[in-house]
Amino acid sequence: MKAFPKDKLTAVLDTLAKQATLWVPAIVAGVSRFAPYGPGREVQLGANTVMSPKEALFPATEKIYEYSAYGIDGEFTPVDPSVGPQILFGLRSCDMQGILCLDDVFLTRGYVDDYYAKKREEATLVTLGCVTPGPDCFCYAMGVNPAEHAASDAQLFDLGDAYGIVARTAKGEALVSALETAGLLSESDKAPLPTGDFVLKVDAEGITEKLQHMFDHPLWDAFSRKCLNCGACAYICPTCHCFDISDKKRNAHCGIKIKCWDTCMYSEYALMAGGHNPRPSKKERVRQRFMHKLRYFPERYGKLQCTGCGRCIAKCPVNLEITDVIQQVREAKIDG
Amino acid sequence: MSDNMRNNVRDNMGHMNNQLTQEMRDLARELLASGEVKGLFGWTKGSRWYLTPPVFITKPEEADRLCYDEFAVNNLTGLLLDFRDSQDKIAVFVKGCDSRGIVRLVQDNQLKRENIVVIGVPCPGMGDKGAVTDHRQAQELPLLAKCLECRYPNPVLADRTIGAVTVTTEPSAAPSGATAEAAKGRGVGSKEADRFAQVEAIEKMSPDERYAFWQAQNKKCIRCYACRNICPACNCRECIFDSDKKNWVNKAATPTDNAFFGITRAMHVAGRCVECGECERVCPMDIPIMAMNRKLIGDLNELFGPYDAGVKADEKPPLGAFKLDDPEEFM
Ligand code: SF4
Ligand code: SF4
Ligand code: SF4
Ligand code: SF4
Repeated sequence: MKAFPKDKLTAVLDTLAKQATLWVPAIVAGVSRFAPYGPGREVQLGANTVMSPKEALFPATEKIYEYSAYGIDGEFTPVDPSVGPQILFGLRSCDMQGILCLDDVFLTRGYVDDYYAKKREEATLVTLGCVTPGPDCFCYAMGVNPAEHAASDAQLFDLGDAYGIVARTAKGEALVSALETAGLLSESDKAPLPTGDFVLKVDAEGITEKLQHMFDHPLWDAFSRKCLNCGACAYICPTCHCFDISDKKRNAHCGIKIKCWDTCMYSEYALMAGGHNPRPSKKERVRQRFMHKLRYFPERYGKLQCTGCGRCIAKCPVNLEITDVIQQVREAKIDG
Repeated sequence: MSDNMRNNVRDNMGHMNNQLTQEMRDLARELLASGEVKGLFGWTKGSRWYLTPPVFITKPEEADRLCYDEFAVNNLTGLLLDFRDSQDKIAVFVKGCDSRGIVRLVQDNQLKRENIVVIGVPCPGMGDKGAVTDHRQAQELPLLAKCLECRYPNPVLADRTIGAVTVTTEPSAAPSGATAEAAKGRGVGSKEADRFAQVEAIEKMSPDERYAFWQAQNKKCIRCYACRNICPACNCRECIFDSDKKNWVNKAATPTDNAFFGITRAMHVAGRCVECGECERVCPMDIPIMAMNRKLIGDLNELFGPYDAGVKADEKPPLGAFKLDDPEEFM
């Protein structure tokens, strides 16, 4: 396969950055996340990031339109959802799988979200095979292959002292040929390093079917007792996609409509006009999180809404592990 | 993890806290079996050796799930807020730092003191799981910064105790009880004088540097509210950040709006922050939240005299009381 030596990584990134906004896993103010490549950027390919790459396609805060309304004179100026060509470099299989989940939500079933669609269309996705799963990783259990992902535009493989690269789509081919033109690629007959052992073990087989009988199970009470209902798990997750539309007002008459991340963990999330809340307590909110990921999403889209990236496990303040939830659901007795 | 796997992880630990864990289970069993409490917050062994997360149990036979070691870092007191409208009596285990959270919640009229059974535990100092290098093997870990800076290693109040810990409101009292030697050996409290070091370092920056420093931090905040939700001082029934209807605040996670969040939260816990350090520990974005809290603690000490929040229940917080000789610098 075609490959470039690891010490040419900077040259590769410099070349790609000339073609598009290049997002790389990096350390930004002490936190690992995907960030646009540029001078002084501390690139970090060795471990999965704290923040998932979803923010490149689905930003935490996004302007939708500007408006002004004086009496009956209303005006609005839409915001162009395009951000120009982007390359997302070094995504893990779990992240690629997360993007497939976002695709399902934002691009299928009758409504297309322009803000997501445009960015997705403009993006080239370059995945990187995993050699050393992190302590919180369990993608294998969610049906994701850590070594490579078939849906990416180009796949990187760790060959030891070099990265192998294989194009999978036309976008991927364009990217590979750009590297070739820059004289950065050569042929390598080395095999990709194998993926090491996973520490965190869980078996999610049959979880969706089991959960279909567990809406009223006391397990949700138990889980919710330690949950803080913070949104850390959802905001760092590559698949959580909820948002809320609100205003950033300049004054009483004009302002900006914004689309911001939201999460079912928050008490106001399901609050209705009139004050009724169908998810009044932590129990209903915790249940929603896991039911959505493991039952409703698979029912609707045929895939789990958890990719086993382990981010929520690493950062949950009370260690409410989704693997533990899966295990306890498996072991739970169902009456009748 | 199944209970079986959990037991395995726990059994592999095999160290000084076995005794305490046993005492913990015995007492929990007694309290639940006698019906003295309806439920109990404690810690249990998690899926890996460096995890000892919170657990809530309601039956005596669940007492065997309890576990205590140097990873029982969570302050459990904030979880009691779910019971603020309940008449149920609930028990909770507290380390020294955590115990101040109880005082806080009672002073803020969030909990009725008589509805809580506070069980004081001796604290060996908590290990920093961020320093784990090999997650497959147990290893000696450095203490969390908050434990090095700890000034209240012993519970400031308790209805019951285990491990022969002494209850005291004396600041900087030596760690007591079953883990006292371990705590001293590991350096609990050895850096208490450095509590304000970070504040001083930030204050030495030029205004531009300081602005850049906080902007970088504010840019990171994702408004997940983990800091707020774990905090025993953040106990308002309705938080202004939960509603943008009043237009004080909006949901945009921009540096300015995030700064507004961070500063507002710091001001709202001023004079009430019990320095448990939980906000900073749980922040997924590693924002130095304690620097802001400590800045305000330092200012309060200077303006109103030395004050440690959440230590003496009958003492009014400086910002919660009025005195004729209060400073009025900005009036
Ligand atoms: S639920 Fe957790 S482990 Fe699953 S994809 Fe989201 S962050 Fe990753
Ligand atoms: S789990 Fe909650 S926040 Fe995440 S996508 Fe589902 S409803 Fe939204
Ligand atoms: S925990 Fe950190 S990231 Fe989350 S809201 Fe608080 S300061 Fe922001
Ligand atoms: S502000 Fe932080 S340190 Fe202070 S009481 Fe709240 S969680 Fe604890």
